[in-house]
Amino acid sequence: MTRLIEIADAVPDCVVAAWVDTRTGAVREQHVVHDASFVGPALEAATEVMRSRERPPRMVLLSARHVHMFHRMVSDPHRVLVVICERSANIGLAVALVRSFAEAEAAAA
Amino acid sequence: MNPPAELEVLHVLERMPPDASGALVRERADGTMAGALLVERGRVCWAMSERYPRRLTDILVAEQDSLTLHQINEVFAMCHRDHMPLGETLVARGLVSLPVLHRALLRHTCEALDWLVREDAPWSWIEHSGYGYHPMLTFSPAEVLAGVRALANPTLAARALTRLRGLVRDGQRGFAVERSSMSKVPLAQVGCEGVDLVALADLAVQAEEVMAVATTIDIEIALAELGGLACASWAEDNILFVLLCDGELAFNRLLAQVAAMKIFLP
Repeated sequence: MTRLIEIADAVPDCVVAAWVDTRTGAVREQHVVHDASFVGPALEAATEVMRSRERPPRMVLLSARHVHMFHRMVSDPHRVLVVICERSANIGLAVALVRSFAEAEAAAA
Repeated sequence: MNPPAELEVLHVLERMPPDASGALVRERADGTMAGALLVERGRVCWAMSERYPRRLTDILVAEQDSLTLHQINEVFAMCHRDHMPLGETLVARGLVSLPVLHRALLRHTCEALDWLVREDAPWSWIEHSGYGYHPMLTFSPAEVLAGVRALANPTLAARALTRLRGLVRDGQRGFAVERSSMSKVPLAQVGCEGVDLVALADLAVQAEEVMAVATTIDIEIALAELGGLACASWAEDNILFVLLCDGELAFNRLLAQVAAMKIFLP
C-alpha cells in the first residue's frame, strides 16, 4: 500500500493507483485519491483489457478527461499496475513516472 | 466485395514465395487459362483475368484528363510493334506522370485480381527468372490487398487514406481497417508495404479487442508498446486506425502526437 501512495503522490492529478489480478478480476490493492464513480468500471476495464496474455505488457489509454496506464509485471504476469490520472498537459511526465515505478517494482520482485 | 473473396486475395498473396519471381496461374478444368498474377522478387507486377473487361488504357484515360484514347492507342501500337514497355514509354513521352501510371497500374491489378479470385480453378506456381519491371511500377502484397479491399467501399477507403496521409510522419507507418468487416484486411495503408500481412491483421485484431473494452469507459485512443515498437489505435466512425512508430523514444513521440490529435467521433 505504501508504494501505491508513493506513486499516487508523485503522479500529477492522480485519481487512483491499484494492483489488479487479471486472472480473478480482483483488485488486490488500491489507493483512491478522488473517489470518482468511474473508478470501479475503469479498474474492471483495465483487468479485461490486460486479461489476454497476448496483450502488450505496457499500455496507455486516453479518454477526453483521463489517462489510464497499465503495466504487467514480468515476475507475475497476472499482476497489473493500474494508474489513472486526470488528463493534462503533463501526460508524458505521468507516463514516465508510472513506468519508472513499475520498473522499480519489477527489479525489486 | 464479400469477405470470402477478400480473404481469398489474402490467401493468394500468401501463396507467393517470398522474394520469388514467377506467375500464379489459374487454369480451368477444360484447359483454358482463367488468368494469372505476375510476381517479381516478391512484389506484384500485374494481374490478368479473362473475365475482367477493363483495359489499362481505359483507366489511364480516365485518370488523366489531358490524355486521349487516340494518343494512347498510337503509343500502344508502337510499343507492340517495337516490343517496348507501354507504361515507361508513356512516362518518357510526358503523356502521363509516374504517380498516375502507378495508380492506374495498381487499380488495374486489383480489379483484375478481384475477378480472378472468383474463378473456380486451382492455382499453380510457375517460376520465372524475372520480368524486368520497373520497381516503382510493382506493388507490395499490402498495397494490393488494400487496393482490392478498397474496391468494396471506395469512399470509405479514400477517407481512410486521406486521414492516414495527414497523420503518418517520417519513419512511421499506418493502416486502417473497416470495423464492421469480418476480416481485418487493410482498407488503406501508408508505409506498410514491407510489413507482413498476417502481422497487420494480428495488430488490427488486438487493437479492435482493446477498443471494444476501452470504449465502455469512453477511451478514445489506446497506445501499446511491443518491444521497440509503439502502436496507437483509435476508431473514427466505422474505421479503426493503427499508427506504428519505432526507433528511439518511439512510445513517447507517438504519445505526444496522438495526445494532441483531434479524434472525429461519430
